[in-house]
Amino acid sequence: MMHILIPGLRATVQDHGRAAAARSGVPASGPADPTAFRAALDLVGCATDAAAVEVIGLPFAFVCDDRRIVAATGRDVRLRTRGRVPGWTSVLARAGETVLVEGSAATRYAYVAVSGGLALDPMLGSRSTYLPAALGPLPRPLVAGDDLPLGPSTAGPDAAGRRIAAPDYRRTVRAIVGPHDARFQRDDVDGFFAGRHEVLADSDRMGVRLGGTDLHAPEGELLSCGIVAGAVQVPRSGAPIVLLADHQTTGGYPIIATVIGADLGIVAQAGPGEYLRFSRVTPEDAARSD
Amino acid sequence: MTLRPFGDAAFLLELEQRIDPAVMGRARAIADAWEVRGMGPAIPAYASVVLTFDLRHTSWADARALASAFAETPPDVPPAAAGRLIEIPTLYEGPDLADAAARSGMTTDELIAAHSGEVYLAFFLGFMPGLAYCGMLDPRIDAPRLETPRARVPAGSVGIANGQTVVYPFDSPGGWRLIGRTSLVMFDPRRDPAALIAPGDRVRFVPQ
Repeated sequence: MMHILIPGLRATVQDHGRAAAARSGVPASGPADPTAFRAALDLVGCATDAAAVEVIGLPFAFVCDDRRIVAATGRDVRLRTRGRVPGWTSVLARAGETVLVEGSAATRYAYVAVSGGLALDPMLGSRSTYLPAALGPLPRPLVAGDDLPLGPSTAGPDAAGRRIAAPDYRRTVRAIVGPHDARFQRDDVDGFFAGRHEVLADSDRMGVRLGGTDLHAPEGELLSCGIVAGAVQVPRSGAPIVLLADHQTTGGYPIIATVIGADLGIVAQAGPGEYLRFSRVTPEDAARSD
Repeated sequence: MTLRPFGDAAFLLELEQRIDPAVMGRARAIADAWEVRGMGPAIPAYASVVLTFDLRHTSWADARALASAFAETPPDVPPAAAGRLIEIPTLYEGPDLADAAARSGMTTDELIAAHSGEVYLAFFLGFMPGLAYCGMLDPRIDAPRLETPRARVPAGSVGIANGQTVVYPFDSPGGWRLIGRTSLVMFDPRRDPAALIAPGDRVRFVPQ
């Protein structure tokens, strides 16, 4: 069992998400920062389809009733057990030992993984929580006192102390132009990639809202089409939105560019008042960089 | 058909940009063929398909090769099996009913007769879990979306706009013109299938 002591502002169970349910209109969900999430699973020896906790608003604290390997990742995250341990590091937590996950003002999403993974039954093919429609095996934020069942842990003490390098969360975000770039004025496409975009406070797991560089939204109707995480939608207001894990499956706003999967976490972790810049890459460049 | 990259792990394949059941049938056939090949989830809509793939299993070049092949030689569209007929018991008491009737130069009873007299086709699901876009609406009662969307539309609301009609499965913001409501549960994750309406189903609204 993973016993929750301090639940953070909003902690939810997430796994890789339910992309296969898109044709029923169900948002994929999953982690807002997939890079940090996958690193957390990797550090504790879990398979890529395992489930862990996403926390908004640290601190978060828990205790396990047997010995486990644990890890915390995200932007500017660290962990405290017997002593202070940096984030992105696997740590041995003894039975009954309190594990405290801490961040800074820059932290937006933290991931807490425990060896064995969260043993919950998938709903619609996934353990991910989608709060707006109360989907998932635990369709609500975690509260103090929650007991989350864990799978059998295969990782021994020798698995502790491993590190994965955290990404540079201040890096320029790589994006591929389009798919609707032909509907925009050329100057707006160039301006999007040349400019800096302020992250607005009403950003959430559905999308990061950008201010400061209003674009001319194209004229005319666009028939709704399927969309993917990373799509930069330009609604009629001209203020772009970068879609994240909880985005709707279809949308009718033109998409000027799409952030590559490896850089979604940089967008998700950007806080209000920070600025994002986008660099234009080709899909071939993106494939080479991974 | 035009094929465009959609990020580094998907393509957008666009068909003729119009709302037409034949075009939607082709979009669905392409989505099915993509998924049958184990490439990854595909999302068909009115006149497009998003083809996603997993970079850990498929290279960009291989995915593009298959997507291009679909664009050049689309898979055969299976003969449309008549979808199930889904009946939606509807209480025609929506907040926009009187206004929608007045816009159409009808009495509310005439608008109700026009809306419930049609058997609609479910085009695809999107916007939120279980929301089916159904059409086509009788042109006499068609109207654009509300200028200012409502902050909250209750689950079960029946709306019309842009040639189509929908039922909201969940409370949400929304801009469709609300003419009625149903007590049916449109989406229940514990049900299989979870969505009451599937693409290709026929849908009829039955006045209560």
